[in-house]
Amino acid sequence: MAIRKDANTLSTAERAEFVAAVHELKRTGIYDQFVLRHANANMRAIHRSPAFLPWHRRYIWDFEQELQRVSGNPNLGLPYWNWPEGGANASMWDDDLLGGNGDVGTQIVNRGPFRASQWTIVSSSGAPAGPLTRNFGSQGWAQTLPTLDEIEQVLALTPYDVSPWNEFVNTGFRNQLEGFDGPNLHNRGHGWVAGSMLPMTSPNDPIFFMHHCMVDKLWHEWQLRFPNQGYLPVSGAAFGQNLTDPMAATNATPIGPRPLDVLDSSALNIQYDQLLAGTLPPPSTQPDIIALTIGSPVDASISIPGEEDLYSFEVPAFGSYTIETTGPSDTFMTLFGPDNPNQQIAANDDGGQGLNSRISQTLAAGTYLVHIRLYSPNSTGNYTIGVESNAVDTTIPDINVDGPAINAAISVGRESDLYHFRIDNQGTYTVETEGSTDTFLTLLGPDDQTAEIAMDDDSGMFLNSRIRAQLTPGEYFARVRHYSDFGTGPYSVSVHSG
Amino acid sequence: MSNYHETFEGCTIEIKDDTYLTINDKEIDYEHTLENQKWSSRYLPYTQYDSLIDLAQAIVRDTSEFKPVISH
Repeated sequence: MAIRKDANTLSTAERAEFVAAVHELKRTGIYDQFVLRHANANMRAIHRSPAFLPWHRRYIWDFEQELQRVSGNPNLGLPYWNWPEGGANASMWDDDLLGGNGDVGTQIVNRGPFRASQWTIVSSSGAPAGPLTRNFGSQGWAQTLPTLDEIEQVLALTPYDVSPWNEFVNTGFRNQLEGFDGPNLHNRGHGWVAGSMLPMTSPNDPIFFMHHCMVDKLWHEWQLRFPNQGYLPVSGAAFGQNLTDPMAATNATPIGPRPLDVLDSSALNIQYDQLLAGTLPPPSTQPDIIALTIGSPVDASISIPGEEDLYSFEVPAFGSYTIETTGPSDTFMTLFGPDNPNQQIAANDDGGQGLNSRISQTLAAGTYLVHIRLYSPNSTGNYTIGVESNAVDTTIPDINVDGPAINAAISVGRESDLYHFRIDNQGTYTVETEGSTDTFLTLLGPDDQTAEIAMDDDSGMFLNSRIRAQLTPGEYFARVRHYSDFGTGPYSVSVHSG
Repeated sequence: MSNYHETFEGCTIEIKDDTYLTINDKEIDYEHTLENQKWSSRYLPYTQYDSLIDLAQAIVRDTSEFKPVISH
């Protein structure tokens, strides 16, 4: 699981990995797409309104997913800017991470990985708009950063928000965290950096994502401190602001676009390195894992709002399986594995009967983990969960060594295709994919579907995989997936001697 | 009602009838809140300004839409 850390505490390697991933996103144009998504959203749809916090939670979560994808590290967590410890002399501003302040006069950043010769910002139309600029503490309304006392003052406020749901409300948590009332936390961070952090194109500065990671951490801590204070409003505000409205400029995949869909940080696998002294960790951080037996459903319940139940089950051999809940509750299911509790395979809301969840999936042998929560984080309810082996043809496709390639496709995100081949004579063999899809190949065996021999991403042509290995006689398995969790596409796979 | 005209950091700011704001002839939408006599704009989401002139100057100074691109 990715852990979001105080940017000041990142190791040299972690700093280099983060910087490299950000530069890769910039090189491929994805970074600028994030800038434009923020810059061209309706300003009041994402600021000065209740959706300010859920919109930015989803936005930086999407960015973190992209960092993980391009770095190849699913445990890369977005660092946060710990404001009380994040002044101009903090190590996060060193030249191996963010670079420091802009030059006196021009405000141009001429140090670090985002210096003028390395980084060009874009306007809201996407046109190049010159170098990154910063001017620490230059704005009269933002000469200092928020202190711990000011943060604690805001964290004590309830409810989440109040009518008329804008920047003029003088009570409630959201508006004081955003900064139009009270000590001014979020807005002040933008103002303190100044330069490129002032306009709607502020994501041009990578500090934006660390800044909003801190904002999100504080919302997370507030949610832990006040588990009975939900998101407001449920209804009655402008469209896009209510609990179940789709938010502006937010995709409906891979998670829903509503504030409701991002309220539970743990369901998004968001975890922080530390919490403030007054925040207790979430009650479900160390839950019991209940072992399920295939074919034997068990009764269970979510007795505390926001609780998440964990189950494990063993798949003895490759085949098709269905995991589903039954009963009166609106459940949400997430499946992880094989043999990796952090590798998400699938998620489902209402694929079962009524509001129940169901995942039907071809699974390789191994141990799987199922997370069950209720769709609404404010609800409790009973359910029954079971795993069944499906009575379908589960024959693993055979690859003939030195025979023709098998044509196939990754047709849904996180699909994993398994193939079998037999080696009769000891020797060197090559297993490889061909085609336009960025595949990831794992070679398993001999005579064991779970024993990894080798893995490969891009040793083949273009983005294809290729493994060349000395193999003894026996049964072998090749598992093919897309490099990206969300990628799909056709490919062919073959095995040949030599 | 009065009109205002200035060249600020290379951009032409015009305010007609104390109300209609243009920068380099582009009409600029803004919000004026009577309760606290503050002005704000979608270009600059993180603060409010004490006058329409302050807001216009901030838009010129702090957004990449109006200030000339700095080469590097």
